[in-house]
Amino acid sequence: MKNKSVVSEGKQIQLAIELINLGARLQVLESETGLSRERLLKLYKEVKGESPSKGMLPFSADWFLSWQPNIHSSLFVDIYHYLIEHTELRGIEALIKAYRLYLEHVHANSLEPILTLTRAWTLVRFLGSLLQTVPCKRCGGHFIVHRLELNSNYVCGLCRPPSRAGKTKKHATELTQAALAA
Amino acid sequence: MADMMGEIRDLNLTYLMLAQQMIREDKSAAVYRLGVSQQLAEILSDLTPAQVLKMAGSNVLLCRLRFDDKLILGLLSTHGKDHAMPQSHAAILMAQQPVEELA
Repeated sequence: MKNKSVVSEGKQIQLAIELINLGARLQVLESETGLSRERLLKLYKEVKGESPSKGMLPFSADWFLSWQPNIHSSLFVDIYHYLIEHTELRGIEALIKAYRLYLEHVHANSLEPILTLTRAWTLVRFLGSLLQTVPCKRCGGHFIVHRLELNSNYVCGLCRPPSRAGKTKKHATELTQAALAA
Repeated sequence: MADMMGEIRDLNLTYLMLAQQMIREDKSAAVYRLGVSQQLAEILSDLTPAQVLKMAGSNVLLCRLRFDDKLILGLLSTHGKDHAMPQSHAAILMAQQPVEELA
């Protein structure tokens, strides 16, 4: 038995509820709390009023590298690292706080919260193995990159946005038509 | 001039009181939002009302601009329909800035 103390079990349940409310998948809850799958399932249904979604977690590290997800993920990781460096928060507590601060930024700027808690959790697990952060040569901000690539001359997606970034399909069609007409 | 002194004192007072409230409510989040070290946050939150009043009564501002880097200033002041990306860029850069701490 992992949880002998009632107080410690209470804390685990509280943590699980917080994670569920932030949108965590069952796998995250199983990994971060010592509670059994059955208890977590019951808790999830009680909190959310529905069963958790089934299936595998999003496993791809590549998601964090495409343009917009990279900006969101990098901001989250930078906040996370800030908290680890400057506060006493560690582990899942630092992750939750960083995620809340990320959500706050997103809402303040009317953006879509495209980084879900489960993705943020996956990202922290990928750091050091598949992914890492490197400073952009131009602005100095830290961004997520593949660990195995050469990144000594890295320039971030904000200093050098890809030509398609933020362009709509309609915009692209218009450009193509203009090019053809010329 | 007397007016300006009064306004500086009011701003200092507002800043110190808001900082104390933020630190007492959520110290870690306040360390991020204020950009100060945890040690400095603890000292700020322990100031007595008398000490806060005394500090606020200075003739200089007690809070400073955090975007002293030209780039950050440029990003924050960018206007246009897509203002959110510069804001995100600024937030990423701010997370790399050193915290204010006790010497």
